[in-house]
Amino acid sequence: MIEFDQDPPRRQFETLIPLINVVFLLLIFFLLAGTMSPPDPVAVSLPQGELNDRERDLPATLVMEADGFVWLGDRVMDAKISGHMVEKYLKEQGTKRVAIKADQDAPAEALLLLMEGLREAGVEQVTILTERGR
Amino acid sequence: MFEEPVRRRGMASLTPLIDVVFLLLIFFMLTTSFMQTQSLSVVTPAPSADELPTDARVVEIWLMGDGTLRLDGKPVERTALTASLREAIGERKDMTVTILAEKGSRTQALVAAVEAARQSGAKAVGTARVEKIKP
Repeated sequence: MIEFDQDPPRRQFETLIPLINVVFLLLIFFLLAGTMSPPDPVAVSLPQGELNDRERDLPATLVMEADGFVWLGDRVMDAKISGHMVEKYLKEQGTKRVAIKADQDAPAEALLLLMEGLREAGVEQVTILTERGR
Repeated sequence: MFEEPVRRRGMASLTPLIDVVFLLLIFFMLTTSFMQTQSLSVVTPAPSADELPTDARVVEIWLMGDGTLRLDGKPVERTALTASLREAIGERKDMTVTILAEKGSRTQALVAAVEAARQSGAKAVGTARVEKIKP
């Protein structure tokens, strides 16, 4: 009744082609649109802000948790003593600029304490990372 | 149009390619982050609040421990902070904004205060932490 083509199974490949096209497009999209960054040791929700100083290539990033603890790489330390801990690291890196990723609920006191420590450690520029406000 | 069976033979080799592309796709989907971060340069805080100037050319923003903001002692909403600060500074060019963070205040408030101070056109911005603000 129904007449098949000579070799019906191979037809299936043709239906795959739009799929492959879409997958390729997605792949290229993610390649171009995404930025790869090393994962942070802890998840923080950044404070929202409006200004952007567009600081680029900040070599050292400190992460401050909501409870005020400071992470440098996979080391965790108290905000009060972090200046000394960071000093050695910065000397190795040969930089005087530091970025801070602070949680929006982190105590402002701890953040200021950390920045005081950084200044004593010889840091010349501190940058706080924020998220674009909604 | 493209009915030649010889052409179709070549299609069979697509399967491993699709596998690899899928793997790459999943890899990039999982590793990319789309969060847009901004950077805000700040001055490092004064060692203690006593070292900040306190004369008439200073506008103080207080970050209270309960999360509210005060501008020279008067409560102000966070959304209205920039406008109030501009009003307080007016046309003067030699004003300093001092941000005092009380114990219990949060980073979000500090960031909002620093941004407002920067946008208000103050000559300098100083920050310090204090145990308790005494009005």
